[in-house]
Amino acid sequence: MKHKLLPLSETMHYILLALREPLHGYAVMQKIESMSEGSVSLAAGTLYGAIENLSKHGWIEPVGHSGRRKIYKITEEGSTILKMEQERLSHILSLYEEGDVNEEV
Amino acid sequence: MKKFNVFINIEKEEQWLNEQLQKGYRCTHINSLGLYTFEKTDQKYVMRLDYQEYLPKEKREEYIGIYEDFGWNYIKGSGLGIRYWQKEDDGQNEIFSDRQSQGNYYKRLMNYSLWFGMLCLVFSFMIYKDTRLYHAGLWDMNGALFWKALIFETPFVLLKLLPILMVGIFAGSYYKAYVKYSMLREKG
Repeated sequence: MKHKLLPLSETMHYILLALREPLHGYAVMQKIESMSEGSVSLAAGTLYGAIENLSKHGWIEPVGHSGRRKIYKITEEGSTILKMEQERLSHILSLYEEGDVNEEV
Repeated sequence: MKKFNVFINIEKEEQWLNEQLQKGYRCTHINSLGLYTFEKTDQKYVMRLDYQEYLPKEKREEYIGIYEDFGWNYIKGSGLGIRYWQKEDDGQNEIFSDRQSQGNYYKRLMNYSLWFGMLCLVFSFMIYKDTRLYHAGLWDMNGALFWKALIFETPFVLLKLLPILMVGIFAGSYYKAYVKYSMLREKG
C-alpha cells in the first residue's frame, strides 16, 4: 500500500521543498509564502502538525537550534520522496502537453 | 469580568469564548473548575482551542514556540489536553490552514471524546453495579410519605445518573467530530 502521506499534499510538498536548506518553523512559513507568491500561507497548527508528521516519518530532521527554535532540514529519505513526486508530476505535466498537441491537430 | 461555565464539547467552548470576546473582552485566565476571567479591551481578539494529549517538555516548548511565532498567546493548557490560544484579530485567525491538519484535529477530538466517554462508562458501571437508583423501601411506602420520600430522593438519583448522561454527551461529541472528520477526508 502507498505511504499515507503520498501523494504529497500541497503543504507537505512546500515544506519539504523549503527544507532543502535548514530553517526553523516560522522561517519555513515565510519562505513558503514567498515561494508560492503569497498563495500558500500556513497556519501555526498546520505547520506544527506537518513538522511533527514529517520528522516522525524521518523525511526531515532537527539539525540544531536558533535560540529556542528548532532548526530542521530534509533527510536523504525525504529527498528520495521529492524525487519520486517530481517524476510523478512531470509525467502528469507531459500528459497536459500531449493534450495540447492533439488539440492543434 | 468572571464567568462560570462547564463544557464537554470543545467546539462549543470555543464558540462561547469567541462570543464573549466579540462583546469587547479578552480572556486573561481560565481555571480548571470552569472559571473564565475576562478583561475589557478596545482591541478585537479571537480564541482557538486545540487538543493535544500530553506533550513531553521539549515537544511542548516547540509546540508553544511555533504558535507564539505566529502571534498566538498561550492562555492555558488544561490537564485534559485542551490548549487555549488567543490572538489579536488580524485576519489570519485560523490555526489550521489545510484539510489534512483540520482532519487530524477532528481525529484528536474523536479520541478525546472516546477516552472520556469510556472513563464515564466505567465509572457508571461501578456506580450502578450494586446500587438501585431509589431506596428499596420507597416502593413500600404509601400516600404522602411516599411522595415526600420520592421528592427527597430524586435529586440524588439525578446525581447518580450524571455519569451515564455524560457518556451520552461524549458519544454525541464523538459523533459530531466523526462527521466532520469524514467529510474532510472524502473531499481530500
